[in-house]
Amino acid sequence: MPTDHVELALLNDAVVVVDNLSVAFPSRSGSGEVIRSISFSVKAGQRVGLVGESGSGKSLTARAIMQLIPAPGKISAGEIHVGDDLTLATVASAKKWRGTSVAMITQDPLSSLNPLVRIGVQICEMLRHHRNASRADARRRAVELLNAVGIPNPKRTMRQFPSVLSGGMRQRVALAIAISCNPRLLIADEPTTALDVTIQAQVLDLLEKMSQEHNSAVLLISHDLGVVANFCEEILVMYSGKIVESGPTQDILDGPLHPYTRALLTSVPSMTEELPARLSSIAGSPPAGGVDVVGCAFAPRCSLAQAICSEINPELRQLDDPFHDVACHAAGDALWPSVRSQ
Amino acid sequence: MSFTLQPGETLGIAGESGSGKSSVARALVQLTRPTGGTVSLGGAPVTNLKGQRLKRFRRRMQMVYQDPYDSLDPRMSVSDAIGEALSVRGLPKTEHAAQVAQLLERVKLPATIAQRHPNQLSGGQRQRVSIARALAVNPEIIICDEAVAALDVSIRAQVLNLLKDIQHDTGVGYLFISHDLSTLRFMADHVAIMYVGRIVEYGTSEEVFSNPQHPYTRALIAAVPSVTRRGERRLKLSGEPPDPGNPPSGCPFHPRCPEAVETCRTERPELLTIGDAQKVACHVVQWGREKTPKTEVTA
Repeated sequence: MPTDHVELALLNDAVVVVDNLSVAFPSRSGSGEVIRSISFSVKAGQRVGLVGESGSGKSLTARAIMQLIPAPGKISAGEIHVGDDLTLATVASAKKWRGTSVAMITQDPLSSLNPLVRIGVQICEMLRHHRNASRADARRRAVELLNAVGIPNPKRTMRQFPSVLSGGMRQRVALAIAISCNPRLLIADEPTTALDVTIQAQVLDLLEKMSQEHNSAVLLISHDLGVVANFCEEILVMYSGKIVESGPTQDILDGPLHPYTRALLTSVPSMTEELPARLSSIAGSPPAGGVDVVGCAFAPRCSLAQAICSEINPELRQLDDPFHDVACHAAGDALWPSVRSQ
Repeated sequence: MSFTLQPGETLGIAGESGSGKSSVARALVQLTRPTGGTVSLGGAPVTNLKGQRLKRFRRRMQMVYQDPYDSLDPRMSVSDAIGEALSVRGLPKTEHAAQVAQLLERVKLPATIAQRHPNQLSGGQRQRVSIARALAVNPEIIICDEAVAALDVSIRAQVLNLLKDIQHDTGVGYLFISHDLSTLRFMADHVAIMYVGRIVEYGTSEEVFSNPQHPYTRALIAAVPSVTRRGERRLKLSGEPPDPGNPPSGCPFHPRCPEAVETCRTERPELLTIGDAQKVACHVVQWGREKTPKTEVTA
């Protein structure tokens, strides 16, 4: 039964709804929750960025949507709905929509492309299986796709194996396969992390063009706030398995509300502005995944932390902007030195 | 290629994969023998050293790599790993514990970490241990080959600050190799931009980042995604870097260069001085400086 939440999302043209999702890797020492009750949705054609450091749960969120959580991990609570009709995502239903209405590209296409199968075969396979295309049609469409992603000599590339291509070219092939069935949602998990900056710019441009042409929504997962800021309309910031801040890109860059987001923004040296003698850095390191946290997970590293922060887990809430949410006790509180003015 | 590094200074080397950044590092510490040219340290040539003299030289130049998992022995505890370097320096075993504690404090790690093994440390802690290990032999130069590339941004900032503090206190010189230009802008006094095995632009950090001349440098800087330059129209490069084993004729950048003219295809530009310290290897930039419009003749 669709919940109210999902009905509302249907009206809003969402193509994925993540509702109170928790993912756990149960162990003897605890619940092993690595994603703690996160909710968000992405609308058709929208580009949303999921930012966080390693271990924040951002890639696992992607895998949860795809129903590809590695054992012994499991979705311990919550629901995911995908596609235009927002079908409930389950391991069984995934066979119908994975690769077609929801597709994913990863950091290293070498791990998603079969090294022993020629590229042409791998693209045609998708079209033949999901689109019931004839051999000839599939081949023709595969050449078109490779052309569209900027492969210089598609017919030659069709006959090649993934290992002979450069990283940038492999990512283009992965993208061609991902868009071959016109996905409603494309999940891009660190798609440019392994690439040089000039190639990164090319691939991000291509990703933007493809999403516009097919009106596909993109969920871009990255540790690089610069990449996300330039590509996405909305940003979700994850820390230790929780979304700690979310909102339109401009709002988050201009007025970050969570101390973690602010620290992320200032700990990368600027390319244009005057540089400080020392970078502002966050002391300590993120908590280990799967350890049960009482209160705010960021509190041990937070310069604004008070007693309440290590006792009560802050919920994601709005201040004055209805689209900008933050999970921090200090945000907007008169008792604290104003978070924004700092 | 040629460059110099002053004591207490940081030279940044930037470039894409295959540009030869890491090969420079390996040639400097004589892990690969250069096929031509010399490397000198403190005025004395160090190329083609062998045996004891090579060992002594390597004490003066240390390396910190991207992934300390590769350079730290997984079966050695932190104190053993650092102690090994102390033995190289000739320090008696009895003094090791005190020195290890001092070095750990130097890299701002708790002394309790000394008995742990690499797999019990976080990425940031491991990188601090490899810095402590490099410092153990009191080197004059530390080569940091993508030393912070694998670290999360919040940890990266800590390690960069630490490296700066160490340089301030000990006067060690850094050769800082990175593909990340914003990190180099923060760390380096001088910067060399490499493309397919050659320096195409060199200068002070200020010169290169605020007034880049070579079309490749300009494109490289423009391609860095930055939160402060959001939505700017950027100069974009097409194509990919060529195979370093088979570089294009003339200027190796000409197939991707938006400003290439006929000469670029046939003649390789020399690295010539155009500013105080700034040097550029580009025909078009050099002609522009001479104010003789040779471009018209060749176009």
